[in-house]
Amino acid sequence: MELLNLYQNNYLIVFAFLCLGILLPVVALFAAKLLRPKYKDIASKYTTYESGIEPFHDARVQFNVRYYVFALMFVIFDVETVFLYPWAIAYEKLGIFALIEMLIFVVMLLIGLIYAWKKKVLKWI
Amino acid sequence: MDLETLLSYEWSLMGPEFIIVIASVILTLLDLFLPKKFNRRMLGWFAFVAVLAAIVSLLGLLDNQVGSILHDTFRLDSFAKAFKLLLLVGSALVLLLAIDYEPKEGLTEYRGEFFYLFLTGLLGAMIMSSSGDLITLFVGLELLSISSYILAGLRKKNLKSNESAMKYVINGSISTAITLFGMSYLYGITGSTNLNEMSGMLRTLTDPQYTYLLGLAFFMIFVGLAFKLASVPFHMWAPDVYEGAPTPVTAFLSVVSKIAGFVILIRIMVSIFSSIPVGDGTIPMLFDLQDFIGFLAAVTMILGNVVALRQRNIKRLFAYSSIAHAGYILVAFTAMSYVMFDSIWFYMLAYVFMNLGAFAIIQLITEKEGSEDIGHFAGLYRRSPILAVTMAVFILSLAGIPGTAGFIGKLNIFLGALMVSPSHYVLASIMIATTVVSYFYYFGIMTQMFFRPAAEETKLKLPAGTNAVIIICAVATILLGVMPQLAFDFLQTNFNQFMDFMG
Repeated sequence: MELLNLYQNNYLIVFAFLCLGILLPVVALFAAKLLRPKYKDIASKYTTYESGIEPFHDARVQFNVRYYVFALMFVIFDVETVFLYPWAIAYEKLGIFALIEMLIFVVMLLIGLIYAWKKKVLKWI
Repeated sequence: MDLETLLSYEWSLMGPEFIIVIASVILTLLDLFLPKKFNRRMLGWFAFVAVLAAIVSLLGLLDNQVGSILHDTFRLDSFAKAFKLLLLVGSALVLLLAIDYEPKEGLTEYRGEFFYLFLTGLLGAMIMSSSGDLITLFVGLELLSISSYILAGLRKKNLKSNESAMKYVINGSISTAITLFGMSYLYGITGSTNLNEMSGMLRTLTDPQYTYLLGLAFFMIFVGLAFKLASVPFHMWAPDVYEGAPTPVTAFLSVVSKIAGFVILIRIMVSIFSSIPVGDGTIPMLFDLQDFIGFLAAVTMILGNVVALRQRNIKRLFAYSSIAHAGYILVAFTAMSYVMFDSIWFYMLAYVFMNLGAFAIIQLITEKEGSEDIGHFAGLYRRSPILAVTMAVFILSLAGIPGTAGFIGKLNIFLGALMVSPSHYVLASIMIATTVVSYFYYFGIMTQMFFRPAAEETKLKLPAGTNAVIIICAVATILLGVMPQLAFDFLQTNFNQFMDFMG
């Protein structure tokens, strides 16, 4: 019973944050409405705010898809480093098993890198 | 962990998996470094040999006692061996089909990728069948799913193939999220991911409040896994994905992926939910919720068979038929009789042969005609009598006519549903009724083949691999239909009624 209460109480925090998340914008916008002076009907008031510059062209811009592939590659090898650091620090304790595991992990990623290289992902055309 | 404990594990138990993973790595490198003009079909034969080697290595392990590596993350019991054998045999046949696959726009650039993605998918399915830990089960599930997402979209220039891959990814990730959420409840309550420890922990639960959380977990896991089975409520991806995916991939999804789905379902449900006491503590939760699984099985059978009536596209028709077959197997799962494992195993064995045989012929004809309309089967008897007769064997088996493997499989499931008490009369009668409905569309293909005049009289050329698949499947379908004791004796002598599933 104790355990169950503890389990359910954990969700109470989630609920509290949910309420906060909903209340925050509602209260902030409502308070702003109370405080601000009544504005007149000016067309430029309805445009998007862009640091005081007149907004120009469409907000939806297409980027080259290669940025995405590069970002993906970066994330993969970034995560590899993230895994390697704690392993290197705790190497003494983890022993040979972790070494073999790491070797498999690195070799698998290496194959991935070879794949990307041969498929010409690394080349910017 | 030092080297001695590491070497003390019986790594030879993982032999089949090692063969597959090494083969897929070698294939990847070969495909990347071999010159462009090298015929990539050779890689397919390499993959086929690797799968055969894995089968041999698995057969060598049949006599082994239950063994586990690294605290049950890998576990080889008779359940794992029996179903892994099915997965490997099914994959070997699908590979033969894939080697001969030649879509209209060609597949030269991606043919190599096909084979190693196929092997990684198979590896995921194998891990799913022999694991006693939620984490490795989930990793296996994801490995299979992600490989098959890419496989579905392999015809890069084909619009339908792209559509199917996209739908598959989106539906698949939703279902995975649901499964994972269900698993998280189990982990939250028991504090372990090891299936044995979890069931031991759950046995001692007395608080009725936990039952609701566990019930929620049960439904989430079941609904999420329904995606892999292509059963209601996660069945709607099947027709679109089956239609768009390359035909060998469709065969893979409808056979190997479906078997893997049932394997993980049985593994999780039977080992965890059969040990949760509900009510006054006499019946386990799995039996308490039987009506709900039974309802889903019934809806799956009805929906699959009734919607199939309206299909003109042969691959969509087989998608609905495969939904219906998932429903039949779910009947066996609902009944939970003591022959459940045997009847499910046998049904899947029959399903591997009859469905793959049918897909071999479908691939041959759709490729030749460049369209998947059912009308292309017209006059097949005139064009190629042997092909028409073998297709008839597969269709009769799928429909469950006596003398074929499909009949014995259905009979076992039917008897299993009636032998438990209380008997599932309603479910059994729905199964009979929907089987009768299925005659209508199965025999529709037969009428096309035998009684309609052919649009053209050209002979069909049979590639060697497809030919082998058709012969093996036809022989096995009839042999298992006439002498089912072959398979059952094999089960009895090698697997001892799956007694070592628990503990």
